[in-house]
Amino acid sequence: MMSTATTGSKTGTQPLPDLLPENKKRITPKRPRDYLCWAVAIAIVGGLVTTTVTNENYQWPVVFSYFTTEAILDGLVLTLVLTVASMVLGTLLGLLLAVMRMSHQAPISGLARLYITFFRGTPVLVQLIFWFNIAALYPNITIGIPFTDISTPVDMNALMTPLTAAIVGLTLNQAAYMAEIIRGGFASVNRGQYEAADSLGMSGFTRLRHVIIPQTMPAIIPATGNQVIGMLKETSLVSVLGVAELLNSAQSIYARTYQTIPLLIVASLWYLIMTMALSVPQSMIERRFSRSTRRPAPVAVATKESLL
Amino acid sequence: MKADGTIEARQLYKSYGSHEVLRGIDLSVKAGEISCIIGPSGSGKSTLLRCVNGLETIDRGVLRVNGEDFGYVEKDNAYHAVSPQRLAEQRSHIGMVFQQFNLFPNMTAEDNVMSGPVLVKKTDRKTAREQAQKLLAQVGLAGCGHKYPAQLSGGQQQRVAIARALAMQPSIMLFDEPTSALDPELVGEVLAVMRDLAHHGMTMLVVTHEMGFARDVADEVLFMDDGIAVERGDAREVLANPREKRTQEFLERVL
Ligand SMILES: Nc1ncnc2c1ncn2[C@@H]1O[C@H](COP(=O)(O)OP(=O)(O)O)[C@@H](O)[C@H]1O
Ligand SMILES: [Mg+2]
Repeated sequence: MMSTATTGSKTGTQPLPDLLPENKKRITPKRPRDYLCWAVAIAIVGGLVTTTVTNENYQWPVVFSYFTTEAILDGLVLTLVLTVASMVLGTLLGLLLAVMRMSHQAPISGLARLYITFFRGTPVLVQLIFWFNIAALYPNITIGIPFTDISTPVDMNALMTPLTAAIVGLTLNQAAYMAEIIRGGFASVNRGQYEAADSLGMSGFTRLRHVIIPQTMPAIIPATGNQVIGMLKETSLVSVLGVAELLNSAQSIYARTYQTIPLLIVASLWYLIMTMALSVPQSMIERRFSRSTRRPAPVAVATKESLL
Repeated sequence: MKADGTIEARQLYKSYGSHEVLRGIDLSVKAGEISCIIGPSGSGKSTLLRCVNGLETIDRGVLRVNGEDFGYVEKDNAYHAVSPQRLAEQRSHIGMVFQQFNLFPNMTAEDNVMSGPVLVKKTDRKTAREQAQKLLAQVGLAGCGHKYPAQLSGGQQQRVAIARALAMQPSIMLFDEPTSALDPELVGEVLAVMRDLAHHGMTMLVVTHEMGFARDVADEVLFMDDGIAVERGDAREVLANPREKRTQEFLERVL
């Protein structure tokens, strides 16, 4: 019926006969499950709010009184310092490992692979305790310049304070993850990009700096942002070494006052505030990089242009 | 003698492992000549082209580009690989256009075209930008300089890629199936740019399945099959009256 209406018409733009005499609104009926979901969600949230408010054991006044005490704020600062220090050092070491891992020299890439396997395959908590106790393995080490007489003995017990052990442990662990992220970034760049740069006569360094590295960023930067957020929470592990970061500071207080729950709430709220603060730039970064790498279909571009 | 726009290859051999991809290829392209390479997929056409600008190394044979040994220097009865700097220098006189365009997605069209002059020749940005705008206009893309590759159609991207290669003022242009990744309606605009280039006396070595282009523009056609140069000769002659059976069969299939 429709096809007979269009074929045979000379212009091809002849209007088709109307099927609906007037344009009517279209309605999708609400179904019972749409209401049920809301009811369940409201019941759960309502229950949680009621119990947190009415259950006196939460001791909200205690939470507020400790929220900004000096010990907690000092712990907060140390948590941030640990996060920044291990992220920066971990990224640098991770870059070195990634370069080694991508090397064509089998022994070099093998070493990096061994490192990554080891540090990703064992729990961070175990690694932290291990570094803290490294003196049991190497009580004294000698740091020196090879082939010279310049060397100095170091007492490992004095060197490996809780803070050093914390930074060493977090850094070495983070480096393994960053190495894989960086390697993934490079793997995401098409081989043709190297060839195009080569065919223009670019040097290896120019090619890396202006063509390859910028293209690794959409893969590396959002993933690194996630690592920062993860690291912020991971620093709480070093409380077992007695480093007075946020969790440890809270623990020290409740060890004295036995107000365990309110102080854990204090620490949790601070972690939550910091991760939420970090997630704002993180989601901006993610949006930016997903936009710049999204390819509009060539057809869509062509139509847009022909309209202009 | 430098950058005279000639390619001379004798008895090129190239293997990937035990797979011999080029088996004694001879090639001769004179300055300003257009030479088309045709042949079935997997016959080694891309490999030959990539050897000519050093993206692949040859195992045996003599390769002279722009009047000098390419990628190697002859010394003490042997060929020694040149330094990366020297290789880059030799490459900068050869433009290459890829099937997949390979534009730099992190740069605008204009920055793509400027990348060679600015990053390799150290031309100042202003001069390079003016040249890039001229080249973009030449390939019919005036005013598209600010767009990123992802915002351009395939045909436009390939024309930017041609402009980018031309920006290095090469004496030879290599094209590896430049229209094979394009929607049919976009092939014409790229071929038009290539025809224009041919009329301006550029030495061109073109791998293509566009027999019409080969017939109209090429001086010489080389038919390759299985790593061997099966037939070579005047473009119209080979395409109209192929002497070799394999050429006849191939042309029957594609025409
Ligand atoms: N990097 C490589 N490693 C191994 N084999 C390859 C490589 N590049 C190409 N080949 C093989 O060489 C042969 C010729 O490839 P190619 O030159 O791309 O052919 P064409 O361009 O004529 O289609 C094919 O069989 C292909 O599989
Ligand atoms: Mg090919």
